[in-house]
Amino acid sequence: MPETAEQTLDRWSGGVCPFEAGWRKVMMWIFIITDGLLFAGFLGSYGYARLMSARWPDQAAVFDLRLIALMTFVLISSSATMASAVGAVHNPRRSSTLRWLLFTILGGAAFLGMQAYEWTHLIGAGARLDGNPWGDPLFASYFFVLTGFHGTHVLIGVIVLTALAVRWRQHLASAAGVELAGLYWHFVDLVWVFIFTLFYLV
Amino acid sequence: MVMKLGSPHGSRVYWVTWGALLALTVVMFLVDGLSMPRLAFLAFVLSAMLAKASLIGAHFMHLRFERRPLALMVLVGLLLTGTVLFVLIAPDAVRIAAMNHR
Repeated sequence: MPETAEQTLDRWSGGVCPFEAGWRKVMMWIFIITDGLLFAGFLGSYGYARLMSARWPDQAAVFDLRLIALMTFVLISSSATMASAVGAVHNPRRSSTLRWLLFTILGGAAFLGMQAYEWTHLIGAGARLDGNPWGDPLFASYFFVLTGFHGTHVLIGVIVLTALAVRWRQHLASAAGVELAGLYWHFVDLVWVFIFTLFYLV
Repeated sequence: MVMKLGSPHGSRVYWVTWGALLALTVVMFLVDGLSMPRLAFLAFVLSAMLAKASLIGAHFMHLRFERRPLALMVLVGLLLTGTVLFVLIAPDAVRIAAMNHR
């Protein structure tokens, strides 16, 4: 039986607040979906190349997995501090949100520093976009493209969070703005979960 | 209308999630060091990866606390695309690799 107009309205909860989420949050989710599809395309293409390759290097021989573990720890922790910043937005003491935001920015900056170190080390060892000393030339191409795109997302996140922290301190940023930045930051963490597993571990 | 913000369970859920994510990551590294059969290793780390992604989506991104149509809008497209890319197309790569090695 087709649903009634009232049922449709109840399901949609639309107007300027679709899904009871607000149009800005819905727009952020749509951005996350499209960006997620971009990374899904990269990872799908990587999987295809990997399965076809007979000379894919052993990651443990190329990467320092302790550094990758530390990068993962830092990014997961920064996601928890970001969630805490969102959770504290209704706290009358605005410094609570600001403190969590600063921890998140520090985590993002530390991650970028470690990634810069990793890139420098691998480039020094001979990794290039079109070749590398360890095996299939696509290995380094996918390394630079996957971690490069992800690192760019982290860099953009750090810039956005820094601007947000300054605006929050000046009472110019809203609670919803903190939540939107949080959604983006968790997405960056989510993408790393896939890159970490599929590129470094498997 | 007032927008819902954050988890209805306070910040505790975030740190419990953080602990679960770290525990899963540590176990993934430990399993990587073991010499277990390749298929069993893949099944474990891919399951752990999906569990971690679900924890981040559900608790950090609050999908668990949003209205179901919003969560479905996000999940269906990404899961469908992921399935097509990894389950339907990837086996072709194995077939082509096998043809090349003949």
